[in-house]
Amino acid sequence: MKRLTTAITTLAVAATSAAASSYINAAKVDTDVTAVGTQSQIWQDAEATQVIMQPQKTISFIDANANKANKNNGAKKAWVKAIYNDENIAFRVRWNDPSYDSDKAKASVTDFYPDGFAMQFATDYSDPQSLPYIGMGQPGSPVIVHLQKALSKTYEPNGMGKVDMQVDPSNANKFEQNLDEFNEKVDALAKEKYQRSFIAEGFRSTTEIKDGTGKFHSNMRHSDGQWYATLTRPLSDDYLTLEDSFPVAIAAWDGEKLNRDGLKHITGWTAVKLENSSDELAEAINAKSTGDPAAGKKEFDAQCTACHRYPGNDSAQPYAAPVLDNIGGYSTLEYLRDSMMEPSKVVVPGYNRNQHPNNPWYTVGEDGERASTMPGYVWMSEDKIEDILAFLQTLKKEAK
Amino acid sequence: MAKRQLAMVMDLNKCIGCQTCTVSCKTQWTNRNGREYMYWNNVETYPGKGYPKDWRDAGGGFDAAGNLKKGEIPNLQSDYGVPWDYNFADLQNGEQWSPGEDPTWGPNWDEDEGAGDFPNDNYFFYIPRICNHCDNPGCLSACPRDAIFKRDEDGVVLVDLDRCQGYRYCIAGCPYKKIYFNPKISKSEKCILCFPRIEKGLPPACAHQCVGRIRFVGFLDDEDSQVHKLVKKHKVALPLNENYGTGPNIFYIPPTEAPPKFDANGNVIEGSERVPMKELESLFGPEVKDVVKKVRAEKEKKTKTGKSEVMDLLIAYQHQNMFRLDQDYYADVAKEKGKKLAPIDNRYSAGKFTKMSFKAVH
Repeated sequence: MKRLTTAITTLAVAATSAAASSYINAAKVDTDVTAVGTQSQIWQDAEATQVIMQPQKTISFIDANANKANKNNGAKKAWVKAIYNDENIAFRVRWNDPSYDSDKAKASVTDFYPDGFAMQFATDYSDPQSLPYIGMGQPGSPVIVHLQKALSKTYEPNGMGKVDMQVDPSNANKFEQNLDEFNEKVDALAKEKYQRSFIAEGFRSTTEIKDGTGKFHSNMRHSDGQWYATLTRPLSDDYLTLEDSFPVAIAAWDGEKLNRDGLKHITGWTAVKLENSSDELAEAINAKSTGDPAAGKKEFDAQCTACHRYPGNDSAQPYAAPVLDNIGGYSTLEYLRDSMMEPSKVVVPGYNRNQHPNNPWYTVGEDGERASTMPGYVWMSEDKIEDILAFLQTLKKEAK
Repeated sequence: MAKRQLAMVMDLNKCIGCQTCTVSCKTQWTNRNGREYMYWNNVETYPGKGYPKDWRDAGGGFDAAGNLKKGEIPNLQSDYGVPWDYNFADLQNGEQWSPGEDPTWGPNWDEDEGAGDFPNDNYFFYIPRICNHCDNPGCLSACPRDAIFKRDEDGVVLVDLDRCQGYRYCIAGCPYKKIYFNPKISKSEKCILCFPRIEKGLPPACAHQCVGRIRFVGFLDDEDSQVHKLVKKHKVALPLNENYGTGPNIFYIPPTEAPPKFDANGNVIEGSERVPMKELESLFGPEVKDVVKKVRAEKEKKTKTGKSEVMDLLIAYQHQNMFRLDQDYYADVAKEKGKKLAPIDNRYSAGKFTKMSFKAVH
């Protein structure tokens, strides 16, 4: 009985948050949006859409202190605005984060992590029913990620080849004014903002774009316990073209909780609608299963919990399979369906297999093709599949 | 596992804790550019908390089932120790000489303290530590970015600084805490076994400069190498904490020589062991008992007969006879690959994911 009540409560939560995250309406403007800042007047008239960021739980990491700090994470609300002109599109994201974790506020030492945010764009979203995997894309369907962290002053490892600028100031054999000049020269080699573009075909394949393509502008400002971030990128670049209605996903890292990498809050794919665009993508992303989640839970407990864990049921041994804690909060219905019916369709490089060699989530064939360890559930009746999908969609945290 | 594996053997009987290795590494690699606090090579006193402080309790490594264990990331101030500068410039203005920091820990903070009561049963010995260039590195397994790789040609474990994004799970995963975070570049860095020297046939700086002649370097599969003879043939060298499950490739001749203990009246307790075998077992595993016996027997043999291959190796009559490296081998590898050897991981540089030419970046 207790389990059923839990299911019903989560279902109620799911219903409210579904209404909150339908799509982001981008407004067309005539002005330049490249240099738009977080406090720009232009945002006043833009419509804010609430999106829910869920704690990423599919894979876990091995930092004991970080895991402790993030154990009881709930979901987070973020508000997104978007404007665009003929060349560029700009977003402003606002989210709550009471602690200001930047190297401007705290010394950047071995166990300090800055706050940060990122936006993910799909290179191919032509089929709304088959978007790339939310966790950094998938083989054959890469995503572009633009990232900014609240770090100022980072240096390239080779210091642009200027070896004499890499010596410790106390070894520079310089004093007073000469030393100040030396330090200024070193400072000039630093990047003032930690901004990076990546291309990825599934987490772990993420590769920084360092050839000057993948350009974007972004800003972050912390004020009154909230982050305001803007991000501007071209509607079209070497990697993708944003037109009609396209999907984005947003991630936020909280340095206070030692967040970095996959230890973060993420939204699922969210449709951005340019003016006069179709509803097809938004509908596909927001689609809900017609099944019965309570019946699905029963079926799930019978079929899936030997390997998968979800809140309230950790009978599966750890590491046996992806943890499904918040899977309903960041997956589309069609992704969940594909994962059940054709698990090998979306096998991403995944977590580092050396970590848990006894529980490989996939095998790699001689041709390099990855085959999921999970069997496809093609034999299951359509009703039962729909029920399980409905149950999976309830698996997410409540946003406060 | 790499095709071939470089290894180092350190003879703890001969280590005098002079830190020449530490300094040679520091001046070569870590005195600049955000690495100032790092000691890729350090010599710590055992028993002691070590460097970083209490690294043995900071997790990482693999459990018996082969799962990577959770770990912690040491703090700069409390665990590594902040390198400080003195206020030299202020002295001419009449200021007192003082460090800018109030340090609470450092790389040789508890040097020579050891354990026991002086002079009856106190003891300590030195353990020089570098990256173990493991067969199954905890750092590599912990990295969610595939940024750490093990070179096939010699088993050296390296960080690809293009792929590294400074997440630091590697530090949690390494049970020896021998990989470090560089805050200046926001990436991880570690001992590179002086691969640019190795590729030219020179031993790593720490081994080359060692005044005690304690360090042997060579390929484990090279039957003529000193390391092969000590590790494989005579089996007198053991890795540090093999129980961490990473397959370390730095081996140690355990300390076998120490004066006997004294009783309350200052008399020698015959047959007593000043360095407790239990402690040695906690470092080098149960095999250490036999190894200690074997090394002592070889010493005895050398004294009596003048002949012992093990002792002749460990004495290291000629400095050059401690290393067997092969410049030509690396030249052949480079030729085979059709390019210069470079400290990069070429799995991602082929341009599949980016149009970047990696040559422009390195």
